[in-house]
Amino acid sequence: MKIEHLYGEVANFYGDPQNAVYLSQCDPDSEIIHTRLDSVPYFASERPDIILIGSMSEAMQRLAIKSLMPYKERIIELIDDGVVFLATGNAYEIFTERIEYVTEKITVDGLGLFPLTVKTDLFARYNGMVIGEADGMTITGFRSQFSFVYGDNSDFAFIKVERGIGINKQSKLEGVRRKNFIGTHLIGPILPLNPEFCEYVLRLAGSSACAAHKEAAMAAYDRRVAEFRDPKVKFD
Amino acid sequence: MLKKIRFIIALWVAKASRLALRMIGKPATCTPGIIALKLCPDFLAHIGTPQTLICVTGTNGKTIVSNLLGDVLRDCGYSVTNNSYGSNVQGGVASALLTDATLTGRSKKQFGVIEVDERSSIKVYSYITPDYLVCNNIMRDSLKRNAHPDFISYVINNKLTEKTKVILNSDDLICARLAPKSTDRTYFGVDVRKPESGDPENVRDVVYCPECGHRLDVDYIRYYHIGRMSCPECGLRSPDRDFTVTDVDVDAGTLTVAHDGVSEVYRLMNDNIINIYNSCTVITVLHKIGLTYEQISGAFDRLKIVATRYDRTTVGDVSITMQFAKGQNPSACGRAFSYVAGHSGERKSVLIMTDFQESDESESVCWLYDCDMSALADPTIREIVFAGPRCRDQKLRAIMAGVPEEKIKITDTPADGVDLIDVKNHSEIFILYQLYTIPAAARAKRRLIERVEAEK
Repeated sequence: MKIEHLYGEVANFYGDPQNAVYLSQCDPDSEIIHTRLDSVPYFASERPDIILIGSMSEAMQRLAIKSLMPYKERIIELIDDGVVFLATGNAYEIFTERIEYVTEKITVDGLGLFPLTVKTDLFARYNGMVIGEADGMTITGFRSQFSFVYGDNSDFAFIKVERGIGINKQSKLEGVRRKNFIGTHLIGPILPLNPEFCEYVLRLAGSSACAAHKEAAMAAYDRRVAEFRDPKVKFD
Repeated sequence: MLKKIRFIIALWVAKASRLALRMIGKPATCTPGIIALKLCPDFLAHIGTPQTLICVTGTNGKTIVSNLLGDVLRDCGYSVTNNSYGSNVQGGVASALLTDATLTGRSKKQFGVIEVDERSSIKVYSYITPDYLVCNNIMRDSLKRNAHPDFISYVINNKLTEKTKVILNSDDLICARLAPKSTDRTYFGVDVRKPESGDPENVRDVVYCPECGHRLDVDYIRYYHIGRMSCPECGLRSPDRDFTVTDVDVDAGTLTVAHDGVSEVYRLMNDNIINIYNSCTVITVLHKIGLTYEQISGAFDRLKIVATRYDRTTVGDVSITMQFAKGQNPSACGRAFSYVAGHSGERKSVLIMTDFQESDESESVCWLYDCDMSALADPTIREIVFAGPRCRDQKLRAIMAGVPEEKIKITDTPADGVDLIDVKNHSEIFILYQLYTIPAAARAKRRLIERVEAEK
């Protein structure tokens, strides 16, 4: 299995790169291809099984858009071909129509794969947690962000939120899904935090590997699910 | 005039509240400031500041640096206002300044050494212009509060003017570029070439040139983005140092600092690289404000790092080291793990109490995955105990970082962690703790000493 980790040298906040590490520990025969911001992506000419991209600063997000824009059609082709994409944190905003950086007073066009827009305000940090359902699985995760996504994602949401918020404070539908492209504001190590979901991602990529260190991962996951469903626990 | 009256009322009420709080045994290090700011939102614009005001900011080490600065200045006979035992946010800064002010709001002190939380910079520097801004590093901190170093730089820079002189770490390219309007710039750093990791597992926050976006050439990385680098495209580079640590002799317990053509030897307070940077920061600041080598060196001989940050005790054959490791802060915890791994000794046990939780809160565990835990896989570390509600997540993260599962013990209850330590088979025991677990860590240490003595 070939896993392309995009721009890990800058898109590495909140432990997001550990998704690639965890996948490689699930399937020791897998190969991680690290693509830097200033190099040609592996996916430009080859077909990786999974492409990962994680959270980054706002300045790096703008550079990442610039780097990926020439490959927009290729990305659509790969999505249509069933390649798994996992974009976490503000990385998934890259694939929306437009990002408005309120503090810097800049607006930048995204790749436009989803009819959604983003507003980023450096003086409005939002922290919270999410528990919800996606394709029959219970997903847990954390969010820490300056931005919210706006638009109607009801036809292509990733998670139906049980507790927490969706793409913005008025929404209960989190993230986006287009074939095997999964984008979410959930940050960090979403795969080790959700071993069942990790196995689901592996299946989408055609691997039969199991979640690594499964006993330890499930113990942490079960505890988190119980805690997130405890009405006494505050969510944001 | 009305503003002045409002300020005086706020000052008096805050001073009275301080007196009342002290009478009932409360430390009153923040509440009087909060009251003052409530009554007079621009209180900091009116309160007098000491003759020389030094603000210390940055991610890691600001408490140690500001405490040492205050201690040395007092040791040398100067009068000092500081918030060493208080809060470093706006209320704490206001409390410290009003405590030492006259009834009309004038400062009575020669020096002010004020630790300023990075996130509070805008609220403080909007009203106060420090004579000196000191910054040791800008690293990743709590993802909830601090987001990322770019954001923190933006917040610190926002209200600083050219009137402030800056004293910055030359080995941290993010820190070294702070306060761009300031023309009076002094740089310090460490030239002891001991890169610990050429390519850390996760974190390096300066990869591309912040000026032109070209990939930077790296001379060396000591840890994270601390090191020396330059841009082959636009010529940006780590600035030359004015004060440089040129030698660290752990056996002799000395630290050598070169500046202005002289080389000076000081007592080494602690051999952790973070504390070498802290010491160098303090020496640089003290020279810049006019103290002599004799004054600084004499004070260094008498002082030590505040015990809430570091402490070492020996009981029979067992050494117990208390090491502060700021919770939710991946860079600080990664450094603490590295310190334990690099410490002498072959049979080490580590109790990790960096986890804290209010009863009605959960908290993000993502930072654990941003923290380089690979140092804990060092073979000299024979046992790791994670104590706290996030112990299962810590265990999984440690396994992913290469720590053998059989070395790991966990307990949900911080107080129980100490009883899981095998005191018979370990000669070096480390207790890592954070701000909110200082009392629990102190209790753990006492219990550990009892257990070691009982074994004897």
